[in-house]
Amino acid sequence: MTALQDWPDGSVDVAVIGGGVMGATTALFLARGGMRVALLDRQDLFRAASGVNAGTLTLHMTRAQLIPHAMRGREMWLASRDWLGADVGALAAPGLSLAFTEAEEDLLRARARIRRQAGAPIDIVPPSRAAAIEPGLNPSVRAAAYCALDGHIPAYRVGRAYAQALAQAGVMLFAHRAVEAIVPDGAAGGYAVHCAGHARPLAARRIVLAGGVWLEKMLGWFGHAIPIRCLVNQLAVTETMPRVMGSVVSIANGLLSLKQFANGSVLIGGGWQGEGNIHEGGTRVIPENLRGNLRLAQHVVPRLAQAQILRVWLGLESETPDAMPLIGALTARDDAFVIGCVHSGFTSGPYMGRLLAERILGGAPDLGAFDPRRFSPSPSLPEHTP
Amino acid sequence: MSRPERGGVVVVGGGVAGATAALAISRHGLPVTLVDEQPQAGGQIYRAPTPYARRHVPPNHEFSGGDRLRALLAASSVRTRFSTRVWGAWGASPGMELDLLGPDGIDRIGARALVVANGATERFLPFPGWTDPRVIGLAGASILMRNGGTLPGRRVVVAGAGPLLFSVAHQVMELGGRVVAVIDSGRRGDWLRLAATLAWDPARLRLAAQWMTRLRLAGIPIHHQARIAAVHPEEDGLSITISGTIAGTVAGTGRQGTPVRHYGADSVACGHGLKPATLLTRTLGARHRFDAAGGYWEPETDPSGRTSRTGLYATGDAAGIRGAAVARLRGLITGHAVALDQGAIAERDFASLTRRPRMLLRRQEHVSRRMLPLLNASASLSRAIADDAIVCRCERVEAAALRAAVAAGARDLNQLKAWTRCGMGPCQGRMCEDGARGLLAASCGLPPEEAGSFTPRMPFFPLPLAALTGTFAYSDIPLPKAAPL
Repeated sequence: MTALQDWPDGSVDVAVIGGGVMGATTALFLARGGMRVALLDRQDLFRAASGVNAGTLTLHMTRAQLIPHAMRGREMWLASRDWLGADVGALAAPGLSLAFTEAEEDLLRARARIRRQAGAPIDIVPPSRAAAIEPGLNPSVRAAAYCALDGHIPAYRVGRAYAQALAQAGVMLFAHRAVEAIVPDGAAGGYAVHCAGHARPLAARRIVLAGGVWLEKMLGWFGHAIPIRCLVNQLAVTETMPRVMGSVVSIANGLLSLKQFANGSVLIGGGWQGEGNIHEGGTRVIPENLRGNLRLAQHVVPRLAQAQILRVWLGLESETPDAMPLIGALTARDDAFVIGCVHSGFTSGPYMGRLLAERILGGAPDLGAFDPRRFSPSPSLPEHTP
Repeated sequence: MSRPERGGVVVVGGGVAGATAALAISRHGLPVTLVDEQPQAGGQIYRAPTPYARRHVPPNHEFSGGDRLRALLAASSVRTRFSTRVWGAWGASPGMELDLLGPDGIDRIGARALVVANGATERFLPFPGWTDPRVIGLAGASILMRNGGTLPGRRVVVAGAGPLLFSVAHQVMELGGRVVAVIDSGRRGDWLRLAATLAWDPARLRLAAQWMTRLRLAGIPIHHQARIAAVHPEEDGLSITISGTIAGTVAGTGRQGTPVRHYGADSVACGHGLKPATLLTRTLGARHRFDAAGGYWEPETDPSGRTSRTGLYATGDAAGIRGAAVARLRGLITGHAVALDQGAIAERDFASLTRRPRMLLRRQEHVSRRMLPLLNASASLSRAIADDAIVCRCERVEAAALRAAVAAGARDLNQLKAWTRCGMGPCQGRMCEDGARGLLAASCGLPPEEAGSFTPRMPFFPLPLAALTGTFAYSDIPLPKAAPL
């Protein structure tokens, strides 16, 4: 292995652990706010959930309470050139969520109603209107929920744009740093971040944990015991094919996400599970679940029967016990923070990261619903090691 | 997808190594299934010729050797599944499972022991114009001529590295075609040294001498330490620019050499050596090592083909490029080793059955390893890949885009893939991985092994979606619990 680049002299203002959308956006806005920021990741940046997810921008599948955040996140993605400095290929597209049975139609209406109340412009439309929006649909659709504010991004393109923006903003990037412990640094008042391969810890005055499915252990370093569930989502992509669809399609219960990218490949997701864990990542596609997912896709857009599947892969998604995000301070001293477990996190991610940066820089955005202390109200900070 | 059958041994690859291993295993009374994507056994070297080729290609020992192998298989208890491709492999212990696509659709097979004998993949060194359909791989050209009796063109430029160069040139002449020139990345001295080593293997020496004599007598130009700089389409064929002395162009500066010559031809047969096909062994989690002489990753195996994973074997060229003669010996020894590990024979039987093959193998291996540097003679050229050369033909990624990604911080092949789409297309990086690795390593001064490999992904080849979905009704789809509101 090539030698790891050494830490900077002195302490940084913030060490952000986790180089995905949440951590990187937080780091980016903190650096722009004048802080000295180090961003660490256990592997290359944007290689876990942020780089391999389905890239759906959708309000249909976003939890109702998060709709306003998802709408702001989507706007940020579509305007990535303005704040990230590069076009990540985000495309606005209409979104349809479909019902094929009576029960699904009931669910669809209930979901649309609660989301509309939260501010999402979602309407129930008849099959004829759905077919006009997406001519490739199976004509047996009973009803569709329509939202004009959906879209998609080829997720793999995001990492490189961030890498350039972060470097430009002066964020110190440290890939391949597996953080083994974070302990309060009594003398300096901040924290010592211990990493494999470094004798000396990184000194940081503040910490931001943005480690996705790896958060549970990290939260433990700050005295919080919050079980984080690791979902192992399966995704499949087809070879490039002639235009078969132009919208983002899901079904009422959320178990499908379907869209065709500009290059002609169709991405099929929806949260069908594979095998994996936080230690090894995704380990095995479950073929029965792959088949279920593909059958659903083919049922919805019948021309996919002509597609060839090019790749199947697994992405990890994190979830708290109440399926709501963790964003906020972890310590009474207000010097350690967490951001993660955001449902439809790719859509909301940039906005959530910006909010946390704003909070750390002294602002007062409303993050009350995401306060990690709802799970462990009075954490006991570990003593600093002598 | 019903529950897979569990009991048997599975051999993937019906070439000389796989077929020999399957035969040995079946002789010891173990149930064994041989899976191969061709309609008949034989692999690349012993591939069954078409009826047309039987009439038009002069009889040779590869036809007869293949016929003998196929007759032995037909007379054995080996269960064969031809025209069947492996598209997925699972490592859940115990045993392994393979997902197959065959004439009857998809299927899954369980294996308590798995022998990977799926041979080699040809390497390509990208140059501008190499994606023209008239540029064909050396191995592909050889199959076309030897097993199809068809020339890739009347006038053929043969280029690249390794003994296949001269074999293909010889085949072109045998079928009445014209070899315009042979462009070899290797040095003349390396061939002479190899000839000395071949004293250990008189049969191969005789064959090599015969090929070379014929090329010389026909007055065909042979350029050593040379490479194709570019291929341009012309009205009536291809214009090929040859760049000279590799040592002078590459070792120091990384600049491109001066074009020294142009040739016109109908087609170019071009390949830069072979590498083991490691998709299966990597997917199943066997340890691999980078062979510096061959310039490729190979599974770590013991002399009997056992990988680091219990029950998983790699044999023949899939365990390191050594050629057909060695593949037969390796397949035989691996077959006996499987029987030993499965308890079908005792240690003593194994020792006596493999004494002579092991002795022959040691001798042959010595010769075959000497061949590796010649197969890998183009390695240093990857730093001179022209900026406008397409490296990944599936996604049309040019060398300049890869260099830009390296400049932006990409330091391993998977990062390069994520940032450029290089290797994301239908071939899953089989064609572009070597070029991309060489370019990445050269651009930032890394040893090639630190640039890594593309992570293997399923399916191993584009899989018809309809084969997976089959016939179904909406109510057949098991819908897990809905996402929370």
